[in-house]
Amino acid sequence: MRVTQSMLSNNMLRNLSNSYSRLAKLQDQIATQKKFTKPSDDPVTAMMGMTYRSNVNQIEQFSRNISEANNWVNTTDDALNHAVLVLQRVRELTVQASNGTYEGSQREAIAKEIEQLREQLISIGDTQIAGKYIFNGAKTNIRPSDTPDGDPEYHEGTIEIEVFNGIKIQVNTDASNLFGPLLSSTMEEDKPWNLTKLLDSLEQGTDIDSQLEKIDDVIDKFLAARSMIGARQNRIEMMEERLASHEIFAKEILSKNEDIDIEKVIVEFTTQESIHSAALSLGARIIQPTLVDFLR
Amino acid sequence: MRSSFMGLETARRGLFTQQSALYTTGHNVANANTPGYSRQRVNFQQTNAYPSIGMNSPALPGQIGTGVEGGSVQRIRETFLDVQYRTENNKVGYYGALAQSLEKMEGIMNEPSESGLQTALDQFWSALQDLTTQTENSGARDVVAARGQMVAETINYYYNTLTQVQNDIGNEVKIKVEEINALIEKIDALNRKIADVEPHGYVPNDLYDERDLLVDELSGFIHIKVTRVRPEHYGNASPLAEGLYNIEFVRKDGTSYPEPLNLVTASKETGLGPVNKLTLEPDLEAGLAPIEKIVIGGKEIEEVTSFSGELAGLIESFGYMEDKKVKGLFPEMIHKLNEMTKAFAKEFNHIHNGGYALELPSEEADGVTIEDGNYLYDFFIVTEENAAESIKVNPLIIGNSNYIKAAAARDGEKDTGSSGDNKNAHQLAAIFTKNFDAYEIFKDTTVPEELKGSLVSFYSGIIGKLGVQSQSAQKDLKNSITLAESVDMNRQSVSTVSLDEEMTNMIKYQQAYNSAARMITVMDEMLDRVVNGIGLGGR
Repeated sequence: MRVTQSMLSNNMLRNLSNSYSRLAKLQDQIATQKKFTKPSDDPVTAMMGMTYRSNVNQIEQFSRNISEANNWVNTTDDALNHAVLVLQRVRELTVQASNGTYEGSQREAIAKEIEQLREQLISIGDTQIAGKYIFNGAKTNIRPSDTPDGDPEYHEGTIEIEVFNGIKIQVNTDASNLFGPLLSSTMEEDKPWNLTKLLDSLEQGTDIDSQLEKIDDVIDKFLAARSMIGARQNRIEMMEERLASHEIFAKEILSKNEDIDIEKVIVEFTTQESIHSAALSLGARIIQPTLVDFLR
Repeated sequence: MRSSFMGLETARRGLFTQQSALYTTGHNVANANTPGYSRQRVNFQQTNAYPSIGMNSPALPGQIGTGVEGGSVQRIRETFLDVQYRTENNKVGYYGALAQSLEKMEGIMNEPSESGLQTALDQFWSALQDLTTQTENSGARDVVAARGQMVAETINYYYNTLTQVQNDIGNEVKIKVEEINALIEKIDALNRKIADVEPHGYVPNDLYDERDLLVDELSGFIHIKVTRVRPEHYGNASPLAEGLYNIEFVRKDGTSYPEPLNLVTASKETGLGPVNKLTLEPDLEAGLAPIEKIVIGGKEIEEVTSFSGELAGLIESFGYMEDKKVKGLFPEMIHKLNEMTKAFAKEFNHIHNGGYALELPSEEADGVTIEDGNYLYDFFIVTEENAAESIKVNPLIIGNSNYIKAAAARDGEKDTGSSGDNKNAHQLAAIFTKNFDAYEIFKDTTVPEELKGSLVSFYSGIIGKLGVQSQSAQKDLKNSITLAESVDMNRQSVSTVSLDEEMTNMIKYQQAYNSAARMITVMDEMLDRVVNGIGLGGR
């Protein structure tokens, strides 16, 4: 093939510009730490990258949801634990009062204390997390004890938090059949037993023994609610562990998918650099003297 | 008998011919860097020997040579390589335009990144999840409104920038058409100059070069077929004369349209004909609209994308009509964005209106309608046409985020929900991964055919497809550039000036010139002997 000076210099220019574009690409990769800057660099990886990113975001969000769920169940557990302690104290006092030797004034003192304990239970029923009343069903912004007749009122309604794609866990506990009947002040026969009825029988001094059984029933109900919460705590804990390992996995796959292997890219860059300077020095020599320089 | 002065004449022919070869060498060296220049060569040929054959020709022992003449000056060029080069150059133009448009589109969509629509959607989803855990918290509600607005603004930005770039491409189409017509005029003008020169027996090499350079340029814009035409009545044209160029507008595969469309007309019978300019319909003067037809000399082509080249690539990016539908890279992307936005926003509004807010706006507020005691208002405001351009979060909700309907159950006699009821917020968060065909707004109507999968998978699908398209355009461009370069290399190998070669030729011709001059001196001395030295014997 016939080769001329202009072909050589054109070729050299083109090769140099190719070399520059390879350098630019490697430099891009090192600066961004990513294998690609636009989808066309690697369409499949880019598309997967978008999904993986969404996954990581989802997992982070679900972790946040789980800590909120933990907050709910732990606070509820704590509140119910307190309620049980209070109820046990009520039982103790009632046992004392049931002792026939106690006089009216002593029973009055016990009644006073039980009165206070009732107040304590009302305030437990008003427990809040970040301004939310946790025992008032879905009406989290209304204080249960804030009613016109002074009897606390507990609403129904479940609150669920999503802890993983489509998996929702109920975080609140229905207090309408825990605190509700217990703290009501109705004396009607057909309404469930409550502390006011206990106070009444203390005042009358009659029928105190039979109250004990009813207190035990209530304590059992609270304990049952607590064991339910324990089960939820377990479930949430399991989800938390699963999410934690998921998170590591999702971040790893995201990184594997789009992050560069820095050593590899730097080695490639150095290689390309030396190729480039070789090409440059070659270029200087390619623009050779012609025959003209030797003719006299 | 031969003439005493014959040697002088032979040497003179040598002088003149070597000199013209030297001049041509000088011309080559001078044009070593002229684009499109092909090196030229003086074709030496011997003159007729003496004596010629005839009744009265002198009888000599043999014929004696009478010297040399420059038969013709020819440019060294391979037409076949030109055809190959133009075919490849045409593809370079076509894929170049496509690759550039797609790259711009990728730049606008800017995925995967921390600032694209995907991230905005992810964050909006997260805000809705936070709303499910902090339903009564007005901070969490404000974040939902703000993130929703961010999604809307990202989509607005995509729409506006895509439209702007599309308009820029439209203007480029307009300019390209003008360039093409200017080239056609120039080629025609050169054809006419050549037609003036060739019948006189000259071979206008430099005009050929100029014409070929223009044709090369034209081949990048549109697909053309070049035919050399030598008219029947063409005077005393040299056999080396290349004739006139007839330039035909052809399809992608190089075949002619049913009615041949000549941009520059030259025919055997009538010589040069009129120039047929290329125009578009609509001509984009009044405003930018999808291209419907290409018109060449009054003949219309409705298959706008049946040809190839930069103009075709630009039209395919900008938009054109096919089967009464708008097609093209930018219009299709904008259309998909519109459909996706419309479906998502409407479904979001639908689910949103199925829930209950914490607070109610006044009955008279803009956009609030009351149906059976239900307060209905949209979360996203969109128009039917151009949803992507118009989408925004209802200002009512931005003003008071307690209007966001997070509750699923009505609470009490007023049309509000409980503060802790987060069930509608769950439903809203679920829309992102819900398949379009499960959308409630599509229950009684058909899902638009382009919408497949869920919002999230549809959008990543758009980006994936864009990536593949752009990648393949870039690969095709790279391949056609490589091919065009290799053909051009062959062409250069044949046609470019090699300085070494010219210098060698220079020496060759110079030495021959010097020798011819010496011959004249010898002849002179011989004649001097005859004139001044003979007949003086014995003196």
